[in-house]
Amino acid sequence: MSTTSAPTQNQIEPARPSLRVDREITFRAVVILAFLAIVMFLLPSVLGSDWIKTFTSVAIYSVVALGLGILYGRVGMISLGQIGLLAIGTWTATRLNYAFHLPFPVLLLLTGAITCVIGTLIGLPALRLSGLYLALITLMAAGAVNIILSAINFPNGGGGFTGHTTAVDLSGLAPVRRPAGAAGDTAYYRYVVVVCALMFLLALVHLATKAGRAWASIRESEPSALASGVNITLYKMWAFALASFMTGIAGGLLASQLGQPTIYGFPIQDSLTLLAVVLIGGIYSLWGAVIAGSFMQLVPFIFQAEWNVNANFLLIIFGAGLLQVLLTAPGGLADQVPKDLAKLWRFISGPLRRGAPA
Amino acid sequence: MHSLVGFAILGVDWQELKPFIVLGLALGGAYALSGVGIVVLYQTTGVLNVAFGAVGAAGALIAYWMIHHTSLSQWIAYLVCILFGGVVNLVYGVIFGPAFAKRDPLVKMMGTLALALILLGTMGWRAPAGGAFVRFLTLPTTNHRYEIFGASVSLTQIIALVFALVLTAATTAFLRYTSLGTAYRAVANDREISATLGVPVRRVEASAWFGSGLVCGCAGLLLADLYTSLDYSALTFLVISSLAAALIGRLRSLWATLAGGLTVGLVQGLLTPYGRVTEYRAATPFVLSIIALLWLSRTRVVTISRTAQ
Repeated sequence: MSTTSAPTQNQIEPARPSLRVDREITFRAVVILAFLAIVMFLLPSVLGSDWIKTFTSVAIYSVVALGLGILYGRVGMISLGQIGLLAIGTWTATRLNYAFHLPFPVLLLLTGAITCVIGTLIGLPALRLSGLYLALITLMAAGAVNIILSAINFPNGGGGFTGHTTAVDLSGLAPVRRPAGAAGDTAYYRYVVVVCALMFLLALVHLATKAGRAWASIRESEPSALASGVNITLYKMWAFALASFMTGIAGGLLASQLGQPTIYGFPIQDSLTLLAVVLIGGIYSLWGAVIAGSFMQLVPFIFQAEWNVNANFLLIIFGAGLLQVLLTAPGGLADQVPKDLAKLWRFISGPLRRGAPA
Repeated sequence: MHSLVGFAILGVDWQELKPFIVLGLALGGAYALSGVGIVVLYQTTGVLNVAFGAVGAAGALIAYWMIHHTSLSQWIAYLVCILFGGVVNLVYGVIFGPAFAKRDPLVKMMGTLALALILLGTMGWRAPAGGAFVRFLTLPTTNHRYEIFGASVSLTQIIALVFALVLTAATTAFLRYTSLGTAYRAVANDREISATLGVPVRRVEASAWFGSGLVCGCAGLLLADLYTSLDYSALTFLVISSLAAALIGRLRSLWATLAGGLTVGLVQGLLTPYGRVTEYRAATPFVLSIIALLWLSRTRVVTISRTAQ
């Protein structure tokens, strides 16, 4: 960036936009790095163990929200089955954990790959269906997954495909392993944050390249995308594969976070709540996914454990927030808050500037 | 227990299947009832109301509270439950219906999702479930039992089935022969043109919301009785069975919706005595609606202009 050399009058005009883009990217990178630094180093040093466990869940659910954000916000394909997919990921990771002694990253990747295949299969109807019908079929798939997993139970060290034993004495059963060197809650929290940051990076890379452009054109108008030569089948399936892979990784992380997961951690209601918080957080922004993860895990914790307020209030707030987003603020909080802050700043700084000498 | 004229179906004696057929048909009737309410509302307003179960459950909880905490007659409580359904739907429809009118059906559905979340939160806050505390809402008609084809049937079960049949027939006749019914069909066809021709679109839509809300209250009451206990969360998600019925009716045909509801109930009931699959019987509505959706989408039309729905 040689911005110090004295430019001639002609050079100034074209140079400005690129300078601005550079500044914006630098600013964003600084914000993201500062955010990660606070999340990884400041939070564990000031917060207790319960908070750290909650923040681990926030990071995991942010990735689930990110998956839904890509599907609905970027490609325009709705899915109400993401919590069902998360349950599949968690089940798979638990099963693999008791069946083999794989290194943790391999286990995670394998879980991601298996969930990716299942999620893509569930997403196949998206090639034919859209809008309301796609929402319904994914909700129904999630409901069916929920019932199947309730019937076969989560693995608890038994044999066979399901890995579930009804033995009464499970005292010798070790919980799902955590990565080597990250057995403690704080160490595991940092590990989870790093993996989740990688997932966000993966999403960012997709959005900034060919796939992101193809998705945008599909979202705007499928016939025009088709006419301009976008392979709709490929890119739709790609989006489902990516979202499912991410959700699978999140499931793998969740299995180790919970230790002994059960189906009760994945009620159908959560699929609806997830959609609400993702829309409230901001479906068109990656920050929206972080906000959604916080709404899903951190806010209930604060309500219940810290303020002793009935967490059901949150559902009422989510419902009202969802109506608000649908009717007046389609960009959600991630879009609305900066705008409102800028307005507020203009409101405050306006009189000051007017008062200043010209 | 083998009867003299008994025969077995896949290893289960016919006599043992009877109670499950009765149970299945009764539940199926309640599903069909809600399904018809959902279809009529969807046709008129384009809103697929997923809060149907939540509204019914909230009405049933209010009835339960009135029966146990006030000295009012239980019939007033049931009436309040039914009216509650109508009023909640009407209020939602009048306030948010016009705001969502020009949006995509998916967005309209999400609006009712918000209503469902608000109701779920309110019910969880005011009437927490769980622990050893279980609520039962037993209608007085449940104590009247009859012997039909050798199976014991309660009056509530008969009401559920007959009411579903009557409602379907009555709604069909209403849509065909009354002027309001014609207005419904006109609005379903094209909202803008109907408005231009002088159909009071908002009033027609409001009446559809109110009518389907009344059905919703009735279904909530019946399901709270037929479904072993008054569990608001389970009742809220029983809407999925009604959605399955509505989807089998392609969100259009009332008689196919009735048949769909009865099928869902019957299959679910009949799977109960089969040890191997009994755990999976709750997946019936999900599986049937997935099949119905795939069948609906077997041909694909790329729509460029606005959708007619």
